Amino acid sequence: MEHYSLKINGHVYETGAEPFESLLDVLREKLRLTGSKKGCDEGECGSCTVLLDGKPVLSCILMVSDVRDREVLTVEGLPQGGEPHPIQVEMTERGGIQCGYCTPGIIMSAYALLQENPRPSEDEIRFAIAGNICRCTGYSKIVEALQAAAGTPIR
Amino acid sequence: MTKKRGLGVGSMFYGIGYGFNRADIGSAYIEMADDGTTTVYSGACDMGQGIMTVVAQVAAEVVGANIDTIRVVAADTTSTPDAGPTSGSRATFVQGIAVHEAASDLHDQLMQTAAGMFECEKDELEAHNGDVYLKDANSPIASLAEVAARVHLLGGRCASWGWHDNSTADVDPATSQGDAYASYGWASQLAEVEVDTETGHVKVLKIVSATDAGKAINPVAVEGQIQGGAAMGVGYALYEQHILDEGVPRTDSLAFYLVPTSMDVPEIQCEIVEVYDPKGPFGAKGIAEPATVPTTPAILNAIYDAIGIRITDTPATPERVFQAIQEARARGEFKD
Ligand code: FES
Ligand code: FES
Repeated sequence: MEHYSLKINGHVYETGAEPFESLLDVLREKLRLTGSKKGCDEGECGSCTVLLDGKPVLSCILMVSDVRDREVLTVEGLPQGGEPHPIQVEMTERGGIQCGYCTPGIIMSAYALLQENPRPSEDEIRFAIAGNICRCTGYSKIVEALQAAAGTPIR
Repeated sequence: MTKKRGLGVGSMFYGIGYGFNRADIGSAYIEMADDGTTTVYSGACDMGQGIMTVVAQVAAEVVGANIDTIRVVAADTTSTPDAGPTSGSRATFVQGIAVHEAASDLHDQLMQTAAGMFECEKDELEAHNGDVYLKDANSPIASLAEVAARVHLLGGRCASWGWHDNSTADVDPATSQGDAYASYGWASQLAEVEVDTETGHVKVLKIVSATDAGKAINPVAVEGQIQGGAAMGVGYALYEQHILDEGVPRTDSLAFYLVPTSMDVPEIQCEIVEVYDPKGPFGAKGIAEPATVPTTPAILNAIYDAIGIRITDTPATPERVFQAIQEARARGEFKD
């Protein structure tokens, strides 16, 4: 077991972990940051998406030893001053969430998109979340919610 | 032109609930605390379709309470009564009635006490949004919370339960004829596709889904189920295939068993059709499976419209479609 100081959501977390443990397992099991979900544990579904130095990554196929000295942002880090992020508000209000399993990953992919491209087209939104599988919604209301969060017209 | 477009329709009807004399019950407890907070203990399990919200809406409407004062405890064997599984498009249809019954009995208890408080008949009173009114009056005479406090103070009953049996008679065992289900859902879908005749790749461009909801208790959730159902239908038509190799699953991960992504599912336009169903809560019926069933035939019919070839095995993968086109070409039956 090694010791890690991890920079997550602007805080430093101290934890012991094996170097080959996935970031997702460390987040969920060691640090109890259970917002990121484990849908497949093999890099296929996107429900574990977090940002690493601002870029979306799949935390289930990332070893914790690879994130030393880097900034991790999880869905728990999005609210500001106790208020949910606009993406979270729109996803909730517009029915972008059914079972909720894909939701944290979708929100993180969308957040990364809007940081880079604040007014994306529908195609750009669909491309940005293409690695996040949703079995419930058919994506329509997710796309609408993300358009609303970006302030772009909704079809 | 290597790309051809086509339109196709799929239609279906679907038995709501379990039918065929199979057990099909709903059940719920309800209680209003002396501060007006209402708790519904509902056995129906929510997997994201929104039955907890529907339960809260039905309870609020029938009791006359504000929905923000309703708390739903759901699908917990230590506290909620059995309401059967959430399947067969039955949760709103069956559990909705059980909650309706529980809530209307609670409403009656409250109105009875209010009638005593205001020296009138209970039929002269009504409640909505957390307040009690003399019928047709504009301003309330009391809040439901005040009435509930009174019931508790007097040691009256401020709790109830509802139970609903939706099971039907079986069909005739000799002829299989009969009316198997309590109700039937109806749905039609239109799909537009584009088929690439060089690769066999099929892209769904748009789906229009018209689904009979009886009454849409929560229209956003109904649309969400319609759109999610169509997306599953797209997967069934074009991608999803469970391959067994001498009993060994070969499609045991999402890398091999492909489900549709945001790039594969098109715009899904919803038309909610409301044909009041007297057996459902406020006329509502189930829409879950009805929203899925017509998609695949609509897509396969659209492929036929585009290229004049019937694909009879699902999923209509590029390999299958391309092979069918090549065979038609060899027979001289395909116009490029
Ligand atoms: S859990 Fe990481 S991609 Fe599915
Ligand atoms: S809401 Fe259930 S998987 Fe997306």
